Amino acid sequence: MTAIPFLPAGILGEALKIVLWGTFVVLFISVNTLFLVWMERKVSARIQLRRGPLHVGPAGLLQTLADAIKLLSKELVSPRRADPFLYALAPALVFAPVIAAFLVVPLGPGGLSIRDLNVGFLFVFSLTNIAFIGIFIAGWSSNNKYALLGSMRAVAQNISYEIPLLLSTMGVVMMAGTLRMQGIVEAQDKLWFVWTQPLAFLLFLVAALAEANRAPFDIPEAESELVAGFHTEYSGIRFALFFLGEYTAIFVSSAIAASLFLGGWQGPFLPGPFWLLLKTYAIVFVVMWVRWTFPRLRSDQLMAFAWKVLIPFAMLNVFATALFLQLHALFAGRSA
Amino acid sequence: MPSASAQDLQSWLLGAVRADEVTEKDPKASGIVLEALVGRERIREVASRFLAEGYYLESLTAADFTECFELVYHFNRWGKAGARSCVRVLAPKGPDETASGVSIRSVYPSAVWYEREVHEMFGVTFEGHDNPKRLLLPESSAIFPLRKSFKGEPKGSDVTQSLKLIEEDREGFDVAFPKTLVQRNKDYYLNMGPQHPSTHGVLRVLLHLDGERVLDAEPIIGYSHRHHEKMMEVQNYLACWPNFGRLDYVGAMSYNFGYAVLIERAMGIQPPPRVEHIRVLVTELNRIASHLLWMGTFLLDLGGFTPFFYCFDDREKILDILEMATGERLTYDYFRFGGLDRDIPAEMVPAIRAFLPEFKKHLRDYRTLVTNNVIFERRTRGVGVMTRDTALRYGVTGPILRSLGVPFDLRRDEPYSIYPSLDFEVPTATEGDVYSRYLVRTREMEESVKIVQQVIERLPAGETTLGKLPKNVPKGEYYSAVESARGLFGIYLISDGSLNPYRIKLRTPSFSNLNALVDVLPGCLVSDVVAVLGSIDIVLPEIDR
Repeated sequence: MTAIPFLPAGILGEALKIVLWGTFVVLFISVNTLFLVWMERKVSARIQLRRGPLHVGPAGLLQTLADAIKLLSKELVSPRRADPFLYALAPALVFAPVIAAFLVVPLGPGGLSIRDLNVGFLFVFSLTNIAFIGIFIAGWSSNNKYALLGSMRAVAQNISYEIPLLLSTMGVVMMAGTLRMQGIVEAQDKLWFVWTQPLAFLLFLVAALAEANRAPFDIPEAESELVAGFHTEYSGIRFALFFLGEYTAIFVSSAIAASLFLGGWQGPFLPGPFWLLLKTYAIVFVVMWVRWTFPRLRSDQLMAFAWKVLIPFAMLNVFATALFLQLHALFAGRSA
Repeated sequence: MPSASAQDLQSWLLGAVRADEVTEKDPKASGIVLEALVGRERIREVASRFLAEGYYLESLTAADFTECFELVYHFNRWGKAGARSCVRVLAPKGPDETASGVSIRSVYPSAVWYEREVHEMFGVTFEGHDNPKRLLLPESSAIFPLRKSFKGEPKGSDVTQSLKLIEEDREGFDVAFPKTLVQRNKDYYLNMGPQHPSTHGVLRVLLHLDGERVLDAEPIIGYSHRHHEKMMEVQNYLACWPNFGRLDYVGAMSYNFGYAVLIERAMGIQPPPRVEHIRVLVTELNRIASHLLWMGTFLLDLGGFTPFFYCFDDREKILDILEMATGERLTYDYFRFGGLDRDIPAEMVPAIRAFLPEFKKHLRDYRTLVTNNVIFERRTRGVGVMTRDTALRYGVTGPILRSLGVPFDLRRDEPYSIYPSLDFEVPTATEGDVYSRYLVRTREMEESVKIVQQVIERLPAGETTLGKLPKNVPKGEYYSAVESARGLFGIYLISDGSLNPYRIKLRTPSFSNLNALVDVLPGCLVSDVVAVLGSIDIVLPEIDR
């Protein structure tokens, strides 16, 4: 855990630290989402022979801010036959865990991260799962057929993709020998894991795309089939929370991918957080590129892909890594 | 010349059915080879025989005469011209103008919609039709607009009545989910549309689902019904032109073409060669534009955003070119009897010359971006397979029929204008699934490019109008059919020699093509419904008329 020098020690210091970091994370996530949405619109525009937002602010940067303000000022409409408590709860349930997952991402050298838990790795993946309960509640409580179908698909999809997602990272954990996020990044000071675990990197990216409900796996909110899927009935700030949650999930997934495979904050000359952001945005860009290139899979094909392709390959990767590590240890032991 | 089977049919009709009247007609003048008047009870037998001979039901309609309603059945066959037969049945009027016919739904399931339409427009009931709901009109309406005795309400006279009807229809909307139909708890009904991103207009598909699997599907149409047929009855022939631009707003040139062919056939006039060439030129450009719009929205339905913009970019360029000639970008009203509204401007041909090579390059891009995409193939191959039998019984035409391996294209099989002198192929596929419909349409764009190239190479100079023509059409019955971007577009005209048509029936391709969905959708997933619906390429205003 990083000590911040000018803060008093003890409980008061702890409390202050929580408040300060909390404010920082929420601010960062909000600004970052605004930027990501702008980036998405620019990237998609370039891919589609358009120019994207231009007029509000320099290069249209403030367009998303204007949109956010519009969303915030909208009336909260809830359907007559919805379950009011669950309906209001769902957006928060989707948004909160994603922020929490942000806490353990290693930001820089010298153990710079908000909290470096010794099971940080597990913490991230267990938190991202809570979001799906939120999505299911959203679909269920809206009392809308499209929303229900969307959340049904979301649950099926996320249960299936959780497995290859975790399995694909196992190789990295085995090579790093720790579940601490900082430890995993530090283990890559000589060689990024993307070179030793290329298959795992690909599997992780695909599974993370599916986890974040991004195209071509965006079937829970397939707008041409299910209107808007699980958030069909949501408007105003509640819709904005889903939106915020989705983009933050992409960002956190990309940051974790960068930490696990691309050496996280490691890099020459520039400070660590900068490298982390750079790598994360590079992955985010790839994610956007994929979204605007491919059509959408069908839900049963998506399931088949997870169970028949991703999981066997992820298993294979785990076994191959284990075998390699054992043999390596054997030979290293003999030579020593 | 009537073919051998047409002669067989003729003798059979005379002998076995004891048809009151069988006449051979000149297809050049009337568009019909054989015409028969049969007894009311025999129509089912006649229809079965036509089906056995490989005929499909092209249209079924009625006309109101003083003493009786005349039910008119048009049968046609895939293949060379000279097969379209017209069978008439007289339904005498009883008290209060009621009349009845015999349903042929057990033979041709497509008759279900046609008979419902005749019922709501004329008040003719059909024995053996178990679903006499309204098709195009509001469920509660109690008027029969195509009866000659119907004069219409004065404008604005009855707002409260209209409001009451709307209220009743809303109740009808709720009643459409009969609780008794839900057999198991996990079954449920989903109204896809009328407001839905992928129904391409206001179409409502009532899906009976088990989880995500479709057990039953019923397309419900009529939301953009404007009653073009009635409108045309009260207008003179020239005033009908704008109606044809507004049937299928995506490929309006073909519909202009159909009306031009019809009236020129009826009047026995031949447009000058320059007119014929320009007509084919703009129609084929419009066909490409229509297919591009289809391709973009179809891929959008499958979740691919980007091709939409690429297709629309090319489509915009075609619309710019067509705008030079017509001044319009969508609802073209360009053709006239024996001529055109105006000649094309000098800059149009160079613009086409500049556009074509660029477009051919883009077609190659689409192939690499879409055709060989793994996800696209998985979403479309083996999905929504239509059998030849379904196509025959529902009267499916156009690219959907050709994707089944039936090379039926009126531009070649029932040639009109200068199509016989042009060199082009009729692309077909074999599978009959969504993917092969995509392949057929993309290859049709290439063939249309070929046609456009040939036409601009040999565009003759000359007049673009025939000068003054009579204002009325000689008494008689006429039928014309052209190949629109969606399939066979037929117009059936009864003229009493006066200044306006006595009865015009528009046989639109999407009407039959959409109807066949009932057979194709069961067993699909909800995601497939969108893909299949997109692959049918429907334009709702053309279905609802």
